[in-house]
Amino acid sequence: MSLIPRAAPAASMAFAGRDPAVISLLKMLPLLLLLTFSSAAAPPAAASPSAVHNNNWAVLVCTSRFWFNYRHMANTLSLYRTVKRLGIPDERIILMLADDMACNPRNNYPAQVFNNENHQLNLYGDNVEVDYRGYEVTVENFLRVLTGRHESAVPRSKRLLSDEGSHILLYMTGHGGDEFLKFQDNEELQSHDLADAVKQMKEKHRFKELLIMVDTCQAATLFSQLQSPGVLAIGSSMKGENSYSHHLDSDIGVSVVDRFTFHTLAFFEKLNMYSNASLNSLFNSYDPSMLLSTAYYRMDLYKRALNEVMERYIYF
Amino acid sequence: MMPPSTARRLCFLSLLLLLLLLAAAASATADAAAAEEFTEELLLRPLPDRKALAHFHFRSSAPPASAAGRHHHLFPKAISQLVQKFHISELELSFTQGRWNYEQWGGYDPMSTNNAKPPGVELWAIFDLPLAEIDATWKNLTHTLSGLFCASINFLESSTAFSAPRWGFKLNEGNLRYGALPREAVCTENLTPWLKLLPCRDKAGIASLLYRPSVYKGYYHSQKLKLKSSQSLGIILDQTLTVVLQPNTVSGKQLHSTGGQLQPSWSMEHLFSKKLSGKCLVSKSSRVFVEIEKGIVDNVDKAGSDVSSNNDLFVLSTAPDRSLKELDNLEVQSSSLYEYDVNNYNSDKPLNVGITWKLPLIWSCTRAPYHASRFLMGSGNERGSIAMSFLSTGLDKQLVDSSNDCSIKAVVFQVVPWYVKVYYHSLEVFIDGNSKAISEVVDKIHVTPSEDKLLPGTMEMLLKFPCSMQLATLTLDFDKGFLHIDEYPPDANQGFDIPSALVSFPEFNSSRSYPEADPLFVSPLLENFKEDGVVKSYTEVLLVPLTTPDFSMPYNVITFTCTVLALYFGSLLNALRRRIGEEERGLKKAGILNKRGLIPLLIAKLRGQKVDPSESESTSPASLPRSKLLLKVVFVAVVAIVFHYLSNS
Repeated sequence: MSLIPRAAPAASMAFAGRDPAVISLLKMLPLLLLLTFSSAAAPPAAASPSAVHNNNWAVLVCTSRFWFNYRHMANTLSLYRTVKRLGIPDERIILMLADDMACNPRNNYPAQVFNNENHQLNLYGDNVEVDYRGYEVTVENFLRVLTGRHESAVPRSKRLLSDEGSHILLYMTGHGGDEFLKFQDNEELQSHDLADAVKQMKEKHRFKELLIMVDTCQAATLFSQLQSPGVLAIGSSMKGENSYSHHLDSDIGVSVVDRFTFHTLAFFEKLNMYSNASLNSLFNSYDPSMLLSTAYYRMDLYKRALNEVMERYIYF
Repeated sequence: MMPPSTARRLCFLSLLLLLLLLAAAASATADAAAAEEFTEELLLRPLPDRKALAHFHFRSSAPPASAAGRHHHLFPKAISQLVQKFHISELELSFTQGRWNYEQWGGYDPMSTNNAKPPGVELWAIFDLPLAEIDATWKNLTHTLSGLFCASINFLESSTAFSAPRWGFKLNEGNLRYGALPREAVCTENLTPWLKLLPCRDKAGIASLLYRPSVYKGYYHSQKLKLKSSQSLGIILDQTLTVVLQPNTVSGKQLHSTGGQLQPSWSMEHLFSKKLSGKCLVSKSSRVFVEIEKGIVDNVDKAGSDVSSNNDLFVLSTAPDRSLKELDNLEVQSSSLYEYDVNNYNSDKPLNVGITWKLPLIWSCTRAPYHASRFLMGSGNERGSIAMSFLSTGLDKQLVDSSNDCSIKAVVFQVVPWYVKVYYHSLEVFIDGNSKAISEVVDKIHVTPSEDKLLPGTMEMLLKFPCSMQLATLTLDFDKGFLHIDEYPPDANQGFDIPSALVSFPEFNSSRSYPEADPLFVSPLLENFKEDGVVKSYTEVLLVPLTTPDFSMPYNVITFTCTVLALYFGSLLNALRRRIGEEERGLKKAGILNKRGLIPLLIAKLRGQKVDPSESESTSPASLPRSKLLLKVVFVAVVAIVFHYLSNS
């Protein structure tokens, strides 16, 4: 900025004696430069036009502990498996599991987690990496992951290192209610906490677009305070409705998956990395009579048409 | 200007020189890179209680950093960066689930000494740093390891979780830190990054046998990472996985013609659902050992046959490439090892080592001199006792010394969290049921008492037991502390864990030496067996129930609401219905107000009657109440002194 006023007199002195039109143009040049700089420096708050989507992240959170909440673990692991299969590597996934089901002494099938009583698919597999385990899954750690405000000693694999070109999938499952989500039977995440964290993320340019999927009772109420642009939210049930489990596995002894996640998975299992499906088709696949609840989605903060959306999220 | 021929010659010479230099450089880097080595080994052993032990051993070594620089082609870079950043000279991290059964699986051999670990996570590290910086480095190390191995090792960062033993664990000058998390779960997510440190991962070589459901279905599994770093030798990284499995075979349930039950015959396919189809191509050597212990060897000798791979008692499914016999001090053969070189096998001819039993056989493994166990005594949520018992297993001390001076030394190392406040002065020792003075049994003791919310209580003790002793018991009293509401874990009603104590016997050495046929190559597994290892065993983890606040929301809501309602309605009814003036007149009539004694006053107050001292008409002399008061004070004082005296005696 300091160069510009000095350049003007120098230019005028250097070109003294030349064509007056040239001189006037040269005098205009710094002004023009100033204008272009200021327009470029305008805060790219709705930076979507300037930032290009170049990476995908997933934050998958299971907030319930104890053996009878096996299905929440299975939900999260099903999403983990799907997301990995469709192209997001472990380095870009933050998986938070509040308890250990696979190697739980009550598990008849050690190192195996199933989401279906036919036991066809072992969700745990050979290559699972859990970032936050057991007692570490707390509201504080969850908010730290979202906002990126960690202590200096926290390793990179436990941080959400997203930038303004990231598309993030945030999936949460557990027990919830009107405007809250219960963490480990001990504390709660409220809708304004979540909205605040998302707002901080937006301020710090930590995402370009964010898809929040929540599978709990009265999930839609968790989004009531969201205001940041670029956020798309899907909940498994409306206010006053419960989300139900899908079926009971008599071998394992507990319910193994929730209805909303089961149908979401049924949709994704038909896809592979090269498919071209859109979020619209996902929404249309939800049938309230099968879910026994009304799947709710919030699109008002989201600027693009839904039939373009899916590809951008899961694959490049 | 030079003539063209000499210019050409010069050009040619310079090119040749350049090529020579490049070749030298390449060979130098190749030499440095070739000094990185990786070996893999697997040891299988039948156990007396119809189970099988499988021990995987992977060793990677890197030359000193000054020679090789920062490029690695076999050694995992994450580990070398860890060692350099935190100036580690020795580190051991183990993830264990299950308890090592010392009675059945032995406590005297190098396997149980090195691989029987306490449940959960155990981490200790020796740093090459000034003492003031070690705690901060330990904190950063725990965070890094938690990110690397997908476990919550970062809970060891706070000073309430780790301790710095001087001689109870390993002799050091104050640069060792030890921490354990007894309740940490161990599952596939801990094995995944551990396997990613191997050059062939779990895709080729011995690690490809690791079928996860088999490993986690076992009775005991422990994965361990041990590293040693020095300026001269570089970094040596040993990764071991010890699994005790139950082979699920039909033959094991058959009864033999002689009436006894045969041990189960198993093979690698029964244990892991896979056969070994070749070695990891970058490994320097890849071997499978089958260990036949002293107990079985003695039985074979008794049966009169030669201890080979095919004898009267058992037969190995594949003929071994070599057999190694251990020689103990007296040159009597103890255990023997049968070695298979995986190089000779490939995917067309996979290796499937197994053992088939011909005759029923019962044997036992050598045990440590004492079986150490620990348990809690007392009931209630206020206090209790920790008791440790040492039961003699009949292992005679090698130097049979019939004089009274014969004693067996035992070192006990125990860390107790701060909320179990141990009173170390209440230590009592009982030998064969008789109480002994502490000075008779305890040779050396070092205690770091716990500080509330700051430090755990550490105890290191050197005990001397007489050789003839059968049973010794130590007891320590403790009080249970209170935690802040935020410090309770989500499942607080389960209880809180006291990590395992370590008992070691410094006079007993568990090393075993096998003659090495190949002088050029030393097997790292056998090298570990040959190392001087003190016999040690870990006790059980104790679960202490502490008082917990009632976390149940409905109960709290009901209690608060009822209290508020009671206060409100009580005051309201009081204000509406009570006539105070009438009460006083009634009391005056009854004459109650005239009494001036303290106790009648109290009783009157309890009855809900207002007493106004100014209205009372006392006719008794002033000295009488004063003497009564004095008598009462003296009486109370005498009672207190008697009670104090009685309770202290």
